Amino acid sequence: MNKLELKNVSYTYSAGTPFCKKALDSVSLSFEKGQIIGLIGHTGCGKSTLVQLLNGLLTPDEGAVLLDGQDINRKGGDLRSVRFRVGLVFQYPEYQLFEETVYADIAYGPKNMGLSKEETDRRVRETVQFVGLSEDCLSMSPFDLSGGQKRRAAVAGIMAMEPEVLVLDEPAAGLDPIGREEILGGIFSYQRKKKSTVIIVSHSMEDMARYSDRLVVMNRGRVLMQGSCREVFSRPERLTEIGLDIPQITRFMLALRKRGIDVRTDIFTVEEAKDEIIRVSGGRHRA
Amino acid sequence: MTDYLISVKDLSFTYPESEDAHREHPVLNHISLDIERGSFVCILGHNGSGKSTLAKLLNMILTPTSGQILIDGKDITDPQMTEEDIFEVRRSIGLVFQNPDNQLVATVVEEDVAFGPENLGIPPAEIRERVDNALRAVGMTEYAGHSPHQLSGGQKQRVAIAGLIAMLPKCIIFDESTAMLDPQGRKEVMNTIGMLNREKGITVLHITHNMDEAVAADRVIVINEGEIYLDGTPRQVFSEIDKLNAAGLDVPQVTALFAELRQCGFGLPADILSEEEGAELLASALT
Amino acid sequence: MLKDITLGQFFPGKSILHRLDPRMKIVLSILYIVVIFLCKNLAAFAFITLFTAAMVVLSGISLRTILKGIKPLIFILAFTAIYNLFFYGGDRLLVKLGFIEIYYEGAMYAVAMVVRIVCLLVGSSVLLTYTTSPIMLTDGLERLLSPLSKLKLPVHEFSMMMTIALRFIPTLIEETDKIMNAQKARGSDFSSGSLVRRAKALIPILIPLFISSFRRAGDLAVAMECRCYRGGNGRTKMTQLHLSFRDFAMLFVILLCGAAVLLINRFVPGFSL
Repeated sequence: MNKLELKNVSYTYSAGTPFCKKALDSVSLSFEKGQIIGLIGHTGCGKSTLVQLLNGLLTPDEGAVLLDGQDINRKGGDLRSVRFRVGLVFQYPEYQLFEETVYADIAYGPKNMGLSKEETDRRVRETVQFVGLSEDCLSMSPFDLSGGQKRRAAVAGIMAMEPEVLVLDEPAAGLDPIGREEILGGIFSYQRKKKSTVIIVSHSMEDMARYSDRLVVMNRGRVLMQGSCREVFSRPERLTEIGLDIPQITRFMLALRKRGIDVRTDIFTVEEAKDEIIRVSGGRHRA
Repeated sequence: MTDYLISVKDLSFTYPESEDAHREHPVLNHISLDIERGSFVCILGHNGSGKSTLAKLLNMILTPTSGQILIDGKDITDPQMTEEDIFEVRRSIGLVFQNPDNQLVATVVEEDVAFGPENLGIPPAEIRERVDNALRAVGMTEYAGHSPHQLSGGQKQRVAIAGLIAMLPKCIIFDESTAMLDPQGRKEVMNTIGMLNREKGITVLHITHNMDEAVAADRVIVINEGEIYLDGTPRQVFSEIDKLNAAGLDVPQVTALFAELRQCGFGLPADILSEEEGAELLASALT
Repeated sequence: MLKDITLGQFFPGKSILHRLDPRMKIVLSILYIVVIFLCKNLAAFAFITLFTAAMVVLSGISLRTILKGIKPLIFILAFTAIYNLFFYGGDRLLVKLGFIEIYYEGAMYAVAMVVRIVCLLVGSSVLLTYTTSPIMLTDGLERLLSPLSKLKLPVHEFSMMMTIALRFIPTLIEETDKIMNAQKARGSDFSSGSLVRRAKALIPILIPLFISSFRRAGDLAVAMECRCYRGGNGRTKMTQLHLSFRDFAMLFVILLCGAAVLLINRFVPGFSL
């Protein structure tokens, strides 16, 4: 079943002025319930516009955004409640922290939803576990946390709203390998527990290949490719053509094939590459 | 005798007493290090490993708790340093920061590049010449009249670099200057760094947590818990996969793959960095 | 959207007004304002209107842009006109409608005042803000005022502050937009409820904005220090300002205009303020 759907959505910035810029051009996409979807493309491909259309911060010029089959921008609709159902985490979300304690900041969204104190408390304590913050952090000022912890607290603030769809714009930007692992791992465990739909926008093919069930590749305001990771990686040349960085291991498999070794090239993890090479070597290396 | 631009001897740094307990242990702990003139050195470490503190010490933004720093043979920790001496150090050791937005001062690109030379009291005609040369070197000449907020992240960083080049530095330190950029911007900045080092002979210290960027360096130094953890050529350092993982760092995927294959009995070297050389080796081993 | 505001409206170009020395432009603007206030009779106002129109033509800025600039002032203009029209007494009654009396003097006053405000606005815009980049403007101001630094007035610091403010205004506007959207996504509501509630709803925007501004300020200070900034002492400037023939020509034109206005005031008959 489709949770969230875009039907022929177009969006133009500063329409009618000489600075107008078409960010999205008749995009149709559907996000299935309970999946992690990786949205990939380089800067200016329209993905940041897309995420703001998903929760009604922007309104499409043409087309419609459907949540459970209903147009979110319909007359008489309540956008605020849409935003509780489609949670959006912006890039560098740590800049939105403002409360005196981490607890209060995470509780801000649930409080706005009008949840009871007990329910809010339960959600705050549950989400900090997902993102791997200790309970001691809850009473601290968010500004005393380290960079990676701030990021996780900010993400927890949206998770605590328990949105049916969670959208994250570059959640791991600027973090070191440990930080990336912590934040992406946290999102993954949240999704597996809550069975919600998660959409992650990223530049990193490597990260997305590891975590998502489905990939959507965007280019110049249009959807270029979509499908399972395997399907998308089955044509790595197309990805490099539009200037995307494919994982080094995929480039390696392509380089091997170019040298006449008959290996699969739809590979994006080290583990898979190893199995594939052992397969083509036919056990000769042990001799 | 090797010509060292920077010599660090037994350097320690502890943040002056602050309320948060986690800052009390030393950020840098008895570090000794020599940087050869004209070399391209990459400093790796996870967040909080102390690598950025080192940059600020070399530039005299921070003062060491103990130890000595020699720049071009001159001891900059000497309390007899005059203000003129300090400015001479800052002129010869340029620093590019992480956030591209927070280091540009003027509302026009070329005015910003002129900011450093103006502070040094260089005659106007010469500033003009230096600014033009610096903008040409980073490929931003056509943006000379733009305002910084019209530029992409990568372009802003290139303007910041031009601002330093115009001061004719001996060394430029990049303090995680690629961390907030998208892949395109990262490529632009990395190409510029390589050019500075090769063509202008400027010594480069590149601080990062991104492994791929370290591959191009002459030398890689890994800092962990305030101490020098690994030091050598990229090949030497990246062959120590277990140690790197323990320090919270990744290795390039191809290096990881070769390590796995070695464990399976393949007779392959451990110091492979690029996919092309790896493919070449493996292809000849398999045929 | 906040992004649509264009602050420090500057329209790049190559007209003679664009190429004038900013110091001269500041002086010319002051002289021009003085000339406007010298105008006493209708002929003089007609003359200064023509002169202003000539400057607009010289600047090469489209009439549409100029009119857009006047638009926000339409209420003030209307108010001034109506006030003078209806409430200025005089000798020559023109119209009488019940208790409303319009006098000839009132009508003239209304015209004069509106012309004065419009000329003031349009003239100083084309001379200064529309044709001078903010950085040239602060630069010109700094140099004009530099004698004051001998009196220990912080002229350089003031102009540095202006420059940095101008540099960061677009960045802060963008940031405000971003934080607002981020808090909206968490269910903040800025547009409904009582005034107190709305003011309270601003807290989640203002606090992050302050914190990030302080962080930026700190970062920028360190970056400036790294680039050897130490105040105005011993500092040189890349762009050198030179007064050229055209600067003096323009000065001559303005002075001529002032003299013309004085002559018109004196010798052309008609209504006089």
